[in-house]
Amino acid sequence: MDAAISHYPPDRKRSAALPLLHLWQEHFGFISDEAVYAISAKLGLEPINILELVTFYPMLRQQRTGKTHIRVCRTLSCAMAGSYRLMENLCARTGIKPHYNSEGMHNPVSVSPDRNFSIEFVECLASCGTAPVCMVNDELRENILPETVEQILSNRPADGLKAQSVHPLEHRLVFKNIGREGWTTDIDCYLRDGGYEQLRKAVTMSREQIVNEVKTSGLRGRGGAGFPCGVKWSFIKPDEKKPVYLICNADESEPGTFKDRYIIHQDPHQLLEGILISCFALNARTAYIYIRGEFPEGAKVLDRAIEEARAKSFLGRNILGTDFSVEVYTYRGAGAYICGEETGLIESLEGKRAYPRIKPPYFPAVLGLYMCPTIVNNVETLCHVKHIIAIGGGEYAKLGRPNNTGTRIVCVSGDVVRPGYFEIEVGAVTMGQLIYDMAGGMKFGRQLKAVIPGGSSAKVLRADERFKLKLKQADGSMAEREIFLDQIPMDFDSLAAAGSMAGSGGVIVLDDSRDMVWALNNINEFYAHESCGQCTPCREGSLWMKKITDRMLKGGGVVQDPATLKSIGDNIAGRTICAFGEACAWPTQSFVEKFPEDFAAHAQKSAPPPLPPELTPEELIAKTKIPVTPLAHDPGWEKAGRAGII
Amino acid sequence: MPDLNSPPLVNVQIDGVWHQFPKGTRMIEACAQAGAYIPRYCYHPKLSSPGNCRMCLIEMGMPRMGPDRKPELGSDAKPIINWMPRPQISCAQDVSEGMGIRTNSPLAEECRRGVMEFLLINHPLDCPICDQAGECRLQEFSVEYGRADSRFLENKVKKPKRVEIGPRVTLDDERCILCSRCVRFCQEIAKDDVLGFVDRGSHTILTAHPGRRLENNYSLNTVDICPVGALTSSHFRFEMRVWFLKETKSVCTSCATGCNMIIGSREDVIYRQTPRENSAVNSVWMCDYGRLNFEYLTSTDRLLEPAIFDGTKLEATDWKKAIEYTALQLKHFNGWDIAIVASARMTNEELWLTSQLAHQLSVSLIDVVPRQDTGDDILLSRDRNPNVNGAKIILGLDAEPGTHLKRIAEGVAGGRIKALIALGEDPTEFGITVDQLKQLPSFVMMSILHNAATPHATALFPAAAYAEKRGSMINGRGRLQRLNRAVRSPGDARDDWEILRDLSQAITGSNGIYTIEDVFKQMAGSIPEFDGLSLSKIGELGLKLIPTPEGTTTPLPPGEPVDEKVFEREMKRAPK
Repeated sequence: MDAAISHYPPDRKRSAALPLLHLWQEHFGFISDEAVYAISAKLGLEPINILELVTFYPMLRQQRTGKTHIRVCRTLSCAMAGSYRLMENLCARTGIKPHYNSEGMHNPVSVSPDRNFSIEFVECLASCGTAPVCMVNDELRENILPETVEQILSNRPADGLKAQSVHPLEHRLVFKNIGREGWTTDIDCYLRDGGYEQLRKAVTMSREQIVNEVKTSGLRGRGGAGFPCGVKWSFIKPDEKKPVYLICNADESEPGTFKDRYIIHQDPHQLLEGILISCFALNARTAYIYIRGEFPEGAKVLDRAIEEARAKSFLGRNILGTDFSVEVYTYRGAGAYICGEETGLIESLEGKRAYPRIKPPYFPAVLGLYMCPTIVNNVETLCHVKHIIAIGGGEYAKLGRPNNTGTRIVCVSGDVVRPGYFEIEVGAVTMGQLIYDMAGGMKFGRQLKAVIPGGSSAKVLRADERFKLKLKQADGSMAEREIFLDQIPMDFDSLAAAGSMAGSGGVIVLDDSRDMVWALNNINEFYAHESCGQCTPCREGSLWMKKITDRMLKGGGVVQDPATLKSIGDNIAGRTICAFGEACAWPTQSFVEKFPEDFAAHAQKSAPPPLPPELTPEELIAKTKIPVTPLAHDPGWEKAGRAGII
Repeated sequence: MPDLNSPPLVNVQIDGVWHQFPKGTRMIEACAQAGAYIPRYCYHPKLSSPGNCRMCLIEMGMPRMGPDRKPELGSDAKPIINWMPRPQISCAQDVSEGMGIRTNSPLAEECRRGVMEFLLINHPLDCPICDQAGECRLQEFSVEYGRADSRFLENKVKKPKRVEIGPRVTLDDERCILCSRCVRFCQEIAKDDVLGFVDRGSHTILTAHPGRRLENNYSLNTVDICPVGALTSSHFRFEMRVWFLKETKSVCTSCATGCNMIIGSREDVIYRQTPRENSAVNSVWMCDYGRLNFEYLTSTDRLLEPAIFDGTKLEATDWKKAIEYTALQLKHFNGWDIAIVASARMTNEELWLTSQLAHQLSVSLIDVVPRQDTGDDILLSRDRNPNVNGAKIILGLDAEPGTHLKRIAEGVAGGRIKALIALGEDPTEFGITVDQLKQLPSFVMMSILHNAATPHATALFPAAAYAEKRGSMINGRGRLQRLNRAVRSPGDARDDWEILRDLSQAITGSNGIYTIEDVFKQMAGSIPEFDGLSLSKIGELGLKLIPTPEGTTTPLPPGEPVDEKVFEREMKRAPK
């Protein structure tokens, strides 16, 4: 415990709250009342400060689980691949009555009568390419056939996944070593491949030189917003008096995105080298890697990598014989999507509920972690820094297209034959090439219906839409051209011009078997569950939208529902503290706008059906029972159920 | 010549009109000063701004900069404003030079309507039985930005109700809009971090840890600042609709701080006392002890009629007889036979008449009773007497209050003192026994309540409590403040100053005092500190009369400037 506390400044012991809660849960299985008192006393806090955290982060449990705890991902790509059916089967085999509250809360955990198993639905586990997935205790199981639950319950190890071969259209830079034959995570393997050479090079350069290289490279953030990295870095004053912090945002949790997982698990030293170069450039003496709680193995891999690098003097005191000292620590999140928002992440790292901060005045580069200048960069972005130093900013900028430079990893999931990750030169590949060539195209007999191009919060693109894109002609003039979905180049500006965004690079493909109301309901449930609840529009609006789509699926849709949905989205987007407002509003706005026929089909009643009788608060408390609603609204399995297939 | 102490002014355009505001003015405050009040829930001027309610969204713009990095000027010689596409909150930023604000644009109004709807979809809408009704911000802003019908067809989120979150505060989580004002108050002002949010999203609830309660001495301030009916006072709950309350501006007399307050009463019954803003005294806060210390006004122990000792027992009588009897009795004694124990709970006017009485009777043995208890560094003073500074100045006490009490007690015990006048104090509390009181040839007592000494008085005068009279007091930091009458005294109880005036007149004949203003005038004519003042000149916020005494235990208001001179500076109104 004391070791965990020592990672933070002495007057910032509160930061250790989450690490201590993790330690407690690992040891005792759950967070008891005693834990709340003990940890608050240890850190000099009030018990409410700890209780606030325990109830905010879904991974922290207040009740005991079964011997084997199974977390099934219920977010879009997994749901499309059958995770609701998997859940049904798991419940049936273990004799668990699912406690499933339709209002977006996943508590309490359901435990089997023999207490051997417990099951819960969780939001995106960031492995959408191998959907459906679940976690058995701390181990990820991928590509599970819902019919083969026995394998999970008997805890037989999963078959090794076949490594994805490199597609000819790919340009592997960051992902060079992912799935490579004979590649291991230890430092010797990395050093044999020329590892840490760029760090050696960087410490001989001046800080301004490195920042300038990154500026010249035109590198844009790979986390979602696409903000130019060099510009972000230049917000830090060279003569800054306060300590500067670098935070690596490894809280990958945007549904449809699963790139950072592979870097962390298979090439930790590449990330570490990127972080160390960046620390040197920013004069940051402390870096934290905020890794999502659902990557327990990843945190171990990184911790091991940090120790290996320390032994070789790549980090710690006076790295590589210079006068520069830097410490890198991992910090595990606990299942809250909002921690991917940089100020929410900072609050979480300070040991509080991950409530994003208002900007102004709390711009991280000025008033970030502990009110000190802080740079928050995505895992992939930091890896690119290493490659920029290797080939130089100017050379790097030649990759991709102007203002959309370099390579980026695109993750394809959903209804395609070969879902997976592809590292492409930005803009060098079109949507059509990505879906039909690289990802193997649609499943047999299916047509493309829609694409969500940048993680579930990006606006959906309809297959038969026409997009007007301004393209630069050979003579430098701009010309507007109407193109099909397949022709959209996969870069930041083109996708923005098409009315969506490149976001985090998570492409979710939906075919013509999908009901868009069902898909939107799944996304809405994710956002209703993940809304931190701090500011009004998002807190109230996200759950409202979810309740409407839920009612529509149950046959209670009224004619005004689509219009109501759209206007709720309009009232959220742009009016919240953080970008989560847009993230939860854009799907609803775009789904309703682009698929009116799907929504109209579900919204035909003139008046809503009577609501189920409401329980008074006293009754709710007295019964301590939450009514059980059907587990899923997947029309596929409902039809199958009626047909007697399952 | 420009005042070097006041901040420079900046030009700001609000709804098309240019105004000037001192640098450092919050946008939301600037708009209010310009006459455009922006609705808000989470913003509180005395707390930090989390910007979470999103009600104060406005359109904002900054001056367009030319190539020379100077603002470009339009045809009206004013800067051209680049308006931001997204609405901004006005509660977290200060105004800056050339800033533009639109508070009433279609976008701003649409934002408020949107937020209003969101706030109400899961709200129970139980206004008819809600204590906050009448002073609820949801009701207030619904008038302008609410919808007549609801689009919400779903079940509302269920949350805990009627939670006794502390001994004096009741919580209804369904009404809570999660503005976090109470949480911030507990952290920033009360320094007792007991409240917090648990769970997430729309299911978030405000609560305290099950093992801890909201029981600090400032808990009821959370009720004041709660913009909705989520936190209600357990004491006031369901007692009275707020629109029936008569509001009287007065000051609290429970300690030397003298918090400014509003007494809420109806038909001679006080229902609640709430703080009134005075940045030099209590900011906008008040302690629970002070605000609930009014129950004794309606106690069955109240003295309701004057009484005199007829040789066998204490007999009720009328005021005329009681005063005449007492005057006659006191005139029999020499000045050195008499001791007066006044109270530092008396107003300046009462103390002045007391000093006049002492003068008429040639009494030199006079003192007040000190009242020390535990205090804090928020508002509560260790000195629980509200007017020690007044007593010192007016009675001319040369030593600390209470220095002579021992001598008085010994005098009574030894029989040297034959007449004791106790004004608002119980002699048994400073060393005089009931038996000794029984032996006294004359024991005149003025009191509000029955106590151990009252049965043994030779003359007993029922007096008025703080909310039943007018007058002035000087608080622990030397500020002169006014009390006002909210309710009438019960029975035949009278204003203390009238009793003292009548007694004094009965001893020496008319003294020309008809109103309390006359008392103040006479006092101002004799005591240099009050020179040139009158009751009406004190004003609602009082005025600094004497320098803050050395070693005072009366704290500065929390969250206000430490430099007291700031309070004395005249408020500058920004020119339009």
